[in-house]
Amino acid sequence: MDRHSRRARVARRATPFALATLALVASAARVAAHAGGVRGATRETVTVPTWLFLATGGAVVGASFLLASAVTDRAYIRRIDGWGRELPDAGRVARLLARAVGLAALAITVVAGLFGPTTATDSAAVLIVWVGWWAVFVLSAYLLGNAWPAVDPFRAIAGALPSLDRPYPDRLGSWPAVAGLLALVYLEVVTPMADDPRLLTALVLGYLGVSVAGSVVFGVDDWFGRADPVSKLLAAYGRVAPVALTDDGLRLRLPGMGLTDAAWIGGRDDVGFVVAVVFVTTYDGFVGTGAWADTARPLVEAGVPALAVYLAAMLVGYGLFLALYLASARAARRTADTYLAPGVLARRFAPSLLAIAAGYHLAHNLATALSLSPTLAVVLSSPLSPPANVPALLVPDWIGAVGIAAVLAGHLLAVWVAHAVAYDLFPDRLQAIRSQYGVTLAMVAYTMASLWIVSRPGGAPPFV
Amino acid sequence: MNRDGPDVLDGDDDSRRAGASASNDARDTGTDPYEVPPDATAFACPRCGRPFARERHRDLHLGADHRDLDDDERAAYEDAREAETDDLRRFRIVSLGTLVLLYFGFLLLYAVAA
Repeated sequence: MDRHSRRARVARRATPFALATLALVASAARVAAHAGGVRGATRETVTVPTWLFLATGGAVVGASFLLASAVTDRAYIRRIDGWGRELPDAGRVARLLARAVGLAALAITVVAGLFGPTTATDSAAVLIVWVGWWAVFVLSAYLLGNAWPAVDPFRAIAGALPSLDRPYPDRLGSWPAVAGLLALVYLEVVTPMADDPRLLTALVLGYLGVSVAGSVVFGVDDWFGRADPVSKLLAAYGRVAPVALTDDGLRLRLPGMGLTDAAWIGGRDDVGFVVAVVFVTTYDGFVGTGAWADTARPLVEAGVPALAVYLAAMLVGYGLFLALYLASARAARRTADTYLAPGVLARRFAPSLLAIAAGYHLAHNLATALSLSPTLAVVLSSPLSPPANVPALLVPDWIGAVGIAAVLAGHLLAVWVAHAVAYDLFPDRLQAIRSQYGVTLAMVAYTMASLWIVSRPGGAPPFV
Repeated sequence: MNRDGPDVLDGDDDSRRAGASASNDARDTGTDPYEVPPDATAFACPRCGRPFARERHRDLHLGADHRDLDDDERAAYEDAREAETDDLRRFRIVSLGTLVLLYFGFLLLYAVAA
């Protein structure tokens, strides 16, 4: 016991040291990131080759795994995992207010989208959906907590209608949500949905129709809890957040520590959903790169419809992501020498990927959220006839570096979550370390792919 | 007491943590959380039946997740713990070496390439 507590002290003392080392490695990466961001600038800067930039990102994740594995005190890991404080309940007024805001936002989106201006930056519909919701609200879901169940106007409308309460088919599980998420992102990429308010409103109304129909047939809780892609997406992001709604009310915990609990991952379908969340942000970024244009051009020129090329890329990419993750979880069975079923390992390690997805979402949307928030505020003041000159915040260049740091921070959090999960699963601490080899390799691969996309100059998807 | 064979006894255990979390994972799908290959030897925990591929894992699991060990089990736990600590020390040295290599490797790469 004596030795045990001494190790706890050493671990506590070692942690700041480990973090300092990590910061050193990360600062090297940040230099690289900066160089990546200003490659086009005429100023004289140190240009780091892309391969070195990517290798550094991968090495940071690998090194952080080695550093995390130096923390071997079970009690300490559990204490970090379990730390929390009760928070006061939001109260009835706040809930009603959230509901009202959600319904008002939906109403303004539909009215402004159908009858308002048709240019994207003047349209309240486009700004509410892409800036207010996709950038700012989703950001708040993983940085603070998921308030979507309180805000969700689709659920509020569907919940007001009677339901047939047919039993939701169990074998479908979360696959409808996976298909729905992939379909939404596919539509976002191949249609000018971000520029065309009429089209966007049609999609919002279509989504409302599907939600109401699903909820009327299967009941509001079953539909929004299992099949609705948007609710599930925000619930998944909310697992990263420090504030969570538990059975005993609101609770504060350390960021990401909700991911060590995998009770909500029922089976392979939920693993599939988590992988889809990671995949769609990558896909969204990838189709804007020059590499994608070069890959797709010969196919499109050969007469293959561009929509089919995009669909094929999405399905193949998702399949690859899922296969890579499942293979890494299966590898844990060999490297850790355990008889835990591969499915159990895949389910337990899956939530850690959400930290990666959150970091990636932040990298992609922080600049949008900052620059267009004033635009949204001004346009909302008169949605049908906005002022001629709408303001936009000029975002400084270093915001790009914050994005790169967010990608890395997401991966570091994921490494720690996997570490805590492994200690929870395995009685032998060396076994716990070995079980993470496969998942760590998968994370290194994801990091390098994500950093590569983030470091490319982004553009509109070609051919569509 | 036969502690080497795959002996699955009834589980009057107080398994929390590692053992408990693994079996909780199966409740939604109703499948067995463990998959032992047909030709493999399994060291089952005498309290909760969880199979392990190595005796050391089983002994450590007993010490960590169950109370009231008998003398044999306690001695086995202490031995396993010692072996585990030795292996961890070896791993730390290797991982420290890897970190140093990584650090200086990248220092060199940046000096040459950037």
